Amino acid sequence: MHVLDLDYMLGLLPILLGYLPLTLEMAGAGMLAALVLASLLAVVRVQRTPGLNALAMLFISFFRGTPLLVQLFLFYYGLPQILTFLVAINGITATILGLTLHFSAYMAESIRAAIVGVDRSQTEAALSIGMTQGQLMRRIILPQATRVATPTLMNYFIDMIKSTSLAFTLGVTELMGATQKEAASSFLYFEAFLLAAIIYWIVVEILSWLQRRLEKRLNRAYQR
Amino acid sequence: MSLRHFMQYALAGLALSATALTAHADTLRVGMSGGYYPFTFVEQDELKGFEVDVMNAVGEQTGDDVEFVTASFSGLAGMLDAKRIDTIANQITITPERQDKYVFTEPYVYDGAQVVIRKGNDAIQGVENLKGKTVAVNLGSNYEELLRELPYADDIDIKTYESNIEQDVALGRADAFVMDRISATQVIKDKPLPLELAGQPFSRIENALPFRDDEAGHALRDRVNEALQALRENGTLKQISEKWFGTDVTTP
Repeated sequence: MHVLDLDYMLGLLPILLGYLPLTLEMAGAGMLAALVLASLLAVVRVQRTPGLNALAMLFISFFRGTPLLVQLFLFYYGLPQILTFLVAINGITATILGLTLHFSAYMAESIRAAIVGVDRSQTEAALSIGMTQGQLMRRIILPQATRVATPTLMNYFIDMIKSTSLAFTLGVTELMGATQKEAASSFLYFEAFLLAAIIYWIVVEILSWLQRRLEKRLNRAYQR
Repeated sequence: MSLRHFMQYALAGLALSATALTAHADTLRVGMSGGYYPFTFVEQDELKGFEVDVMNAVGEQTGDDVEFVTASFSGLAGMLDAKRIDTIANQITITPERQDKYVFTEPYVYDGAQVVIRKGNDAIQGVENLKGKTVAVNLGSNYEELLRELPYADDIDIKTYESNIEQDVALGRADAFVMDRISATQVIKDKPLPLELAGQPFSRIENALPFRDDEAGHALRDRVNEALQALRENGTLKQISEKWFGTDVTTP
């Protein structure tokens, strides 16, 4: 009954691609900020910094324990009713903030695992030759932990790219929002959403390719 | 790339992303879903529809710049409450509950609630046949309330959707959907979905623009009301209505 309307899809392609940069920018900014926050959280957790450790655990517990959509609604629609100055944060910034907070909670745990995974004897060796804690972290632990954490962190980045599709609920027209609106006027749902799926898929495939190259580089020191 | 490099980029990214919203002096920020054909919809990346034309005409009258903000329908009220937009142009029906919270302009569309079914579904001839059926409505719309007011409401399986109720009835997942007669008629006429109207509209509805119930909201409401009145008198409203619907829906 319904044949695929290829002409419609071809016409829609450049329109949807026009929204891809915003999707990638939100995910990119969110990822970079999340890496910083997650690293800080991980270090606090590993070193068991008094006071901060409990805060970090609470943070991770909340942002891992509640859905991203709930967090976005809470901060974008809920909080400004109490803290009115928060209205100044626009939808794009709110999405980036939401992605940052949410994903940094997950990423903190995977960075922490990578740090803890570096054998204890290396720490002892480094300290015995007079390295400071900072030097130990920078020169010994982090280079190795980075390699171990990279695959899982890339996983989160891929998830983050796809999670930007929630931004339309905050009034940000990104790739998914644009698709929904086009589909709602053409009623060609299959064509529109298929196209969006293909675009996300190709982006993630390109990233996976980059990830494989990055992992190869990080593995160089371990090849015989 | 080392973690340190990552962090440097991350800090730059943070600084870039901290863009603040600029102040709006004489800009009327109008929220709409952009997914409600033919009132507000996006075709080939262009926002169009009856609401868009009306609000642009209002802007010309008041001298304000009109800025359209599209968001999913269920998010619009939150945006209005949070002062992210000034009003919602999305066929918002005046209801007592909403009047408790917002101030409305005079109605600019007079419409009715309509039952729509999949083509050929003889079991439903109108709202009286909805008993025991699955009926789709949009989240946050007042059609759910209208259904709940029916004496046999308990026997109706009401399904609430974020969007795409037309598609779910066309697919046969829901037996019927309820929305306004005007857009239902237009969707059936213009779009390739196997749908038809079932019976007559079962409730009259009046749609208007809601504003926040505060001093600024009242002032803005009054200004927009005057503009609507002028557009009604000079025939612009009628003209816009006939462009989209072939008939004048802006008078009772």
